[in-house]
Amino acid sequence: MTAGAVAVMPIFFGGWSWLEGHQSTLQTKGPVAAEQAKVFYVTVWVTTIIFIIVASVLAYATLKFKARSSDEENAPPPEQSHGNPLIELSLIGASVLALVIIAVPTLKTIWYDYDVPAAEAKNAYEITATGYQWWFRFEYPKEQIDGSGKLVTANELVIPAHRPVHINLRTVDVIHSFWVPKLAGKVDMIPNRGNRLWLQADEAGYYWGQCAEYCGESHAVMRFRVIALEEKEFDQWLENQKKGARDLKNAAPANATETPKAQFASYTFTPKVRNSPGWSEEFDSDPFGHWRKDQQIDAGENMALIAKGRQLFTQKTCAGCHTVRGHEGAGIVGPDLTHVGARSTIAGGLLENNVQNLHRWITDPNNVKPGNKMYYGSGAMPGYMRRDQNSDAWVQNFTVNDEEAHALVAYLRSLK
Amino acid sequence: MDASVRSSFIGKEEKHAVEKRPWILTRPTAKSGLVSWLTTVDHKRIGLLYACSALFFFLVGGLEALMIRIQLIVPNNTFITHETYNELFTMHATTMIFLAIMPLSAAFFNYIMPLQIGARDVAFPRLNGFAFWVFFAGAIILNVGWFMKSGAPDIGWFGYAPLTSRAYSNQFASDVSTDMWIMGLQILGVSSVIGSLNFIVTIINLRAPGLTMMRVPVFTWMTLVTAFLIILSFPAITIALVELMMDRSFGTNFFEVSNGGLPILWQHLFWVFGHPEVYILILPAMGIVSEILPTFSRKPLFGYPIVVFSGACIGFLGFGVWSHHMFTTGMGTVATAAFALATMAIAVPTGVKIFNWIGTIWGGHLMMRTPMMFALGFVWMFMIGGFSGVMHAAAPADAQQQDSYFVVAHFHYVLIGGSLFALLAGIHYWFPLVFGRKVSEFWGKLSFWVIFIGFNTTFFPMHFLGLNGMPRRTAVYDGNMGWNQANFIATIGAIILGIGIAIYFAVMIYTYFKGEKAGRDPWDGRTLEWSIPNPPPEYNFAVTPTVHARDAFWYEKHHRTEIEQEKAEHAKDEAGHGGIHMPSQSWFPIITATGMLLGGLAFGAKDAINVTLERSFHLSADHNWGILLAMGGGVITFLGAYFWSLEGPGGYHVEPESDDANAKSAGYGSHH
Repeated sequence: MTAGAVAVMPIFFGGWSWLEGHQSTLQTKGPVAAEQAKVFYVTVWVTTIIFIIVASVLAYATLKFKARSSDEENAPPPEQSHGNPLIELSLIGASVLALVIIAVPTLKTIWYDYDVPAAEAKNAYEITATGYQWWFRFEYPKEQIDGSGKLVTANELVIPAHRPVHINLRTVDVIHSFWVPKLAGKVDMIPNRGNRLWLQADEAGYYWGQCAEYCGESHAVMRFRVIALEEKEFDQWLENQKKGARDLKNAAPANATETPKAQFASYTFTPKVRNSPGWSEEFDSDPFGHWRKDQQIDAGENMALIAKGRQLFTQKTCAGCHTVRGHEGAGIVGPDLTHVGARSTIAGGLLENNVQNLHRWITDPNNVKPGNKMYYGSGAMPGYMRRDQNSDAWVQNFTVNDEEAHALVAYLRSLK
Repeated sequence: MDASVRSSFIGKEEKHAVEKRPWILTRPTAKSGLVSWLTTVDHKRIGLLYACSALFFFLVGGLEALMIRIQLIVPNNTFITHETYNELFTMHATTMIFLAIMPLSAAFFNYIMPLQIGARDVAFPRLNGFAFWVFFAGAIILNVGWFMKSGAPDIGWFGYAPLTSRAYSNQFASDVSTDMWIMGLQILGVSSVIGSLNFIVTIINLRAPGLTMMRVPVFTWMTLVTAFLIILSFPAITIALVELMMDRSFGTNFFEVSNGGLPILWQHLFWVFGHPEVYILILPAMGIVSEILPTFSRKPLFGYPIVVFSGACIGFLGFGVWSHHMFTTGMGTVATAAFALATMAIAVPTGVKIFNWIGTIWGGHLMMRTPMMFALGFVWMFMIGGFSGVMHAAAPADAQQQDSYFVVAHFHYVLIGGSLFALLAGIHYWFPLVFGRKVSEFWGKLSFWVIFIGFNTTFFPMHFLGLNGMPRRTAVYDGNMGWNQANFIATIGAIILGIGIAIYFAVMIYTYFKGEKAGRDPWDGRTLEWSIPNPPPEYNFAVTPTVHARDAFWYEKHHRTEIEQEKAEHAKDEAGHGGIHMPSQSWFPIITATGMLLGGLAFGAKDAINVTLERSFHLSADHNWGILLAMGGGVITFLGAYFWSLEGPGGYHVEPESDDANAKSAGYGSHH
């Protein structure tokens, strides 16, 4: 029954583009999501069959017993019958049986989903994911870095493919929910509660995820990615991530007046418009390829500009909230940016990581992600804006002009 | 009639009229005009007050929904900001649940239930007025944010901690939107519990002679079950709201994470209320449909005892399934399994009702009038919503569906296709009774089809959006996720649905003023409310009916001689008591409620009040002026209740007009 259902449903829906998105819950790529989809198909089959039967009887009764003329309406009323206990009881029995068909796979899958199967538990890779308003921090407890603790990254979770991954779910502020539909259903990140989930990617690939619990103003744009890599590529990635930020000490900062703009001359920058999309069809055609390309150093880097950007990173107080391991940044309130240039997205999985989007994010953060802490500050630490205690109003703390943004973009892109 | 027998005013009507009372206890006597409505204790007028406010807020909630859909018509739309969007979905849900569907059900409870049990009013008429005015106070407090700097609440209708704490929900020091939400809901809870106690006492004590519990019409049964659900479930949310209020106002730590508070506690308290609330919204609708289907099939409800017991069974089970709203909170395997199975179990009594409705129309002579169309539409749509409900009950499938558009599709099938369709059916069905006019069949059916098509066009595509991974409560989405077409279609559907609702209400307003006059008992009704003239006289029944069978009025119509003799005898008895005893009007329900309004507003807005007084009027910041003002409201409430009790029950007698002329035209066969 179950197997047949699973085989037929994708054919039924398969050609339908409404179910083939990046976050489809039915085009699964891992065992956890696949088992959940199987349970869904069972419910669909059982309810569809019941629906067809009940709806046919209802439709038949409506058409058959409908009064078609006022004579029929005014005919002497039909027999005033009050019911039939035998029919009632047998229908109740049939309903219970139908529910048992759903209950059995439901129970099996509740236990299966809950934790990595015992046989594979030793092989499981461990991650700790932490929700922040509005981005995700990923920590690799097994990957120690000399002198600075565990490997930490943000918004793009890189995992080994073909291997169970056990993810501890934490939050620092409100409730968030970790959801990568193609790999596994969601589990919430709740304060003072140690939740976890497990998933496994059956093939190397690039997967879309999103926060699924309303978590404040910018909940809609709290997104992330999961990138599953074959063993060898994963090891290479780990090795690079464990290194500190690139050593660029030799370059001297350029003067603002002589900022070489050549590197950005060919770009047009998005005007400051709320919610402008951060994705492109070109990227979408091969997201995994783009991610791989982002691991390489950009062509035509301008060392002087990058050095200027590094200087601004401290001057503009970015370093107070962001860590750039090996450079000046040491904050832990915002995402770790040690290898931000090697990520395919920025702003919490919202914008593709390119020069235009970085520029937009740095110069106009509140239109990209309204209410974010980079713009409004966090606790006593002001952001672009600060709260005036007397008037209870927001006032400008600092701005980032075009040229400064170019330098910062060049710096961030260089952090591979 | 015991009450009137013991009344000290029997036979002393004139003396009562000239009795000297202190001015503050003077009872209003206006029978028309504003004062008559503000001081009314007539269950029918209170029902109309509920209905009008509920329909107003239904339109408000509908406009909120339309703005949400317009924002989502294309990806990355800039029609409204994230902040406004969050306010809109919070207020859309809060408004539709607490200010539209619940009070619309309350309108039917008030107006129809006493008529169905042959009573002349509810058990506590002044308390009934009070429940309405308290409801109105809560509605104002919930919505006043739209006109304040703070804006409307934006924490979701479920208000999950710790997003509701000061740290996360206050955009500035004097942001009071969350406080207003907390106060508004607490005050609405007071109204619901008072109203429910009144209905329970009424149904248990004021049934006409012979109306045993197993003869009570199903709508009245569902009123009773719903009222019990309300008085048992609202304490849970009240506790949660009080704890949250204490956290925000006085620094307690029920949900404050940094001091060991537990946000998950809020979820359990909220859903222990929140799931029975679902049945509070649907059971009255099931009651209405269980009245309409038999009437228009011209035969009794199939399996009455099973329909009644399954309604009560749903009520019981409804308290044991709350954690299926929390399948993704990491409850562990056993708890998840237990709640999954309990949730599946609730599908059985629900399915039973559908079988019985089909059994009711089977073999009937179906009159396809507008109320019947809406009632049949209800059965179809509720069935679809029920099936997607079973899909969530399977917890592993729910791990993907929870907080996705699949859930949005599911509960709109249950709440619009279910509750709302039934309430719209009920309005059509009882309109001739209430206003003495009949809605045009053409326009009624047209509005049904436009609403039906618009509704399905809006919400059916949302199943696919959810399965395709679109989360709820998101103000924007990207254009590359495969969600564009379904969202576009859903928005077009919402506009069609809006047009359908507009037609429906335009027709109602037209009918109220110019509609065709309806004869008595226009549908060949089966229950007692159809036995009286329309619009009903203030005293409802000239002679208290005696019930001999389940469909009491149907029985009367088929045993006319016997019933007429019996009525004549009873009329003589009642005349001997000095006529019909009616409750006096009173100012104190609305005064007491006004105190709650002022107190609630001041307490909710205390931060804004304090900041304003301090900055603009340089009043000392040492005093909490907001709380002092709130205490002022409390004093008004206390005095209102105090004088209310001094005022005494009051009452006066009326002689019924002769009902013979009307009665002649009543009875079987008059519906054409």
